[in-house]
Amino acid sequence: MIQVSNLSFSYTKKPFIQDMNFEVHEGEIFGFLGPSGAGKSTLQKILLGMLPGYTGSAIACGTECNRHDQDFYQSIGVDFEYSTMYEKLTARENLEFFSSLYRQRVRSIDELLSLVGLENDGDKKVTAYSKGMKSRLNFIKALVHDPKLLFLDEPTSGLDPTNSRMMKDVILEEKKKGKTILLTTHNMQDATELCDRVAFIVGGKIFALDSPHNLIMSRGAAKITYSWLDNDIEKTGSCQLDRASEDVTLKGLINENRLLSIHSSEPTLNDIFIDITGKTLV
Amino acid sequence: MSRIRSISISFIHMLKFVKKDMMLLAAGVSPVMIGAAIRFGIPFIENLLVKYTGLPYVMEPYYGLIDILFAAITPVIFCFVAAMVILEEHDDHIDRYLFVTDLGRRGYYISRIIVPAVIAFVITAALLPIFGLSDQVVAVEVSLAIAGTLQGIIIALLVVTLSSNKLEGMALTKLSSLLMLGAVVPYIMPKPYSYILSFMPSFWTGMMINENNIVYMAACVAVSMVWIALLGIASKNK
Repeated sequence: MIQVSNLSFSYTKKPFIQDMNFEVHEGEIFGFLGPSGAGKSTLQKILLGMLPGYTGSAIACGTECNRHDQDFYQSIGVDFEYSTMYEKLTARENLEFFSSLYRQRVRSIDELLSLVGLENDGDKKVTAYSKGMKSRLNFIKALVHDPKLLFLDEPTSGLDPTNSRMMKDVILEEKKKGKTILLTTHNMQDATELCDRVAFIVGGKIFALDSPHNLIMSRGAAKITYSWLDNDIEKTGSCQLDRASEDVTLKGLINENRLLSIHSSEPTLNDIFIDITGKTLV
Repeated sequence: MSRIRSISISFIHMLKFVKKDMMLLAAGVSPVMIGAAIRFGIPFIENLLVKYTGLPYVMEPYYGLIDILFAAITPVIFCFVAAMVILEEHDDHIDRYLFVTDLGRRGYYISRIIVPAVIAFVITAALLPIFGLSDQVVAVEVSLAIAGTLQGIIIALLVVTLSSNKLEGMALTKLSSLLMLGAVVPYIMPKPYSYILSFMPSFWTGMMINENNIVYMAACVAVSMVWIALLGIASKNK
């Protein structure tokens, strides 16, 4: 669905996106992870055909992004991070207008509103919406023309846990229908949960690209931390989960029933990101 | 066909949007009111001034100039309304979304600037024979309508390119409307000094009427095209 090879781009004389290479397969959820200013949005703009002055190749839906025709956007849906709605119009009027711009058959507005729990708010003006409601409305706007490729920028930003869950379920439903989804996010938990593969982007370069599971596993197995009392003083020890049987202290404590606590923990995608890139996701 | 369809939808949507904004709606209907005020008000004032001063005429030599300004008013107002809509859509990030729909960047600007400008041209060409003060041949009236329309497009592009929000846009519209005053220069400044202001398209419209020579219209169109091309590039890079 997307092929990027030797892609470079710069706003000034200083290189910004540098020699990027990756592919996104049809039906995949692919995550761009990186701190602010890493180049995620620029990459998204290039793939949307909004920044034609790049070198190398960026092909989306079979079209070189800087040579696309207008039909290109029939297959693409975009959910920007910020609201892109007419505040003076109702949600329904907004969706009706945006869907009318496409010539293909569009999805039912009522169905889309209920998909994200806005079925009772469709006739309210957008200006009366909360941030979370606007975020959900923005998301379904990207679905009105039933595109094959979806660009989602921080889709769960500003949502409470219940609505965030709802949104993630809808994203997974769209994936089941065969849509390819490009997710840009700071949220490592969302990325771990939703993405088939992720790319860590810092300073316009891809530092790592793999499935969240493989990235986590590549940096060592889960760890066990345990504690026990020794002459009324609490002591702690730790070992790798897959080498627990080799830990003599742990074995002894289990045999003598002296364990005070035992926990297992595995590194998160965030730990891996910091480990690989040396940066935090701020 | 698909592009024309989405441009029409986008333009009709803009009209509905303007209908909800009383200030923009008032601006949209003002050309007829201004035309009527000019047609009936100026000759009335001229009569009073002639009686009061005893001169054979006071404002009459400038009727052609008044027609130039009237020919520019409808396009400038229509393009101002369009520029305000563009700036509001920019403030709400809607333009960037429309660029990635079937409408596209080019379709968006056509629906917001070119379509209103064409409509303004038709209205101006229709109103000028009704409200015009000087007796001009059809070719000159059409030329004035074209010059006014180009002026409107230039002002809309100036406002859209140089201002970052609606408030700045309103201030800049007032400033950029000064471009219309180039038409006054041939009436008040002798050659060759007047050519200092020849970069203003309206200067050439003034020359056309003042010297009764339609050839100057070619210079007006050429200068306007340079402005539009430069502003088009600048707005793309904004």
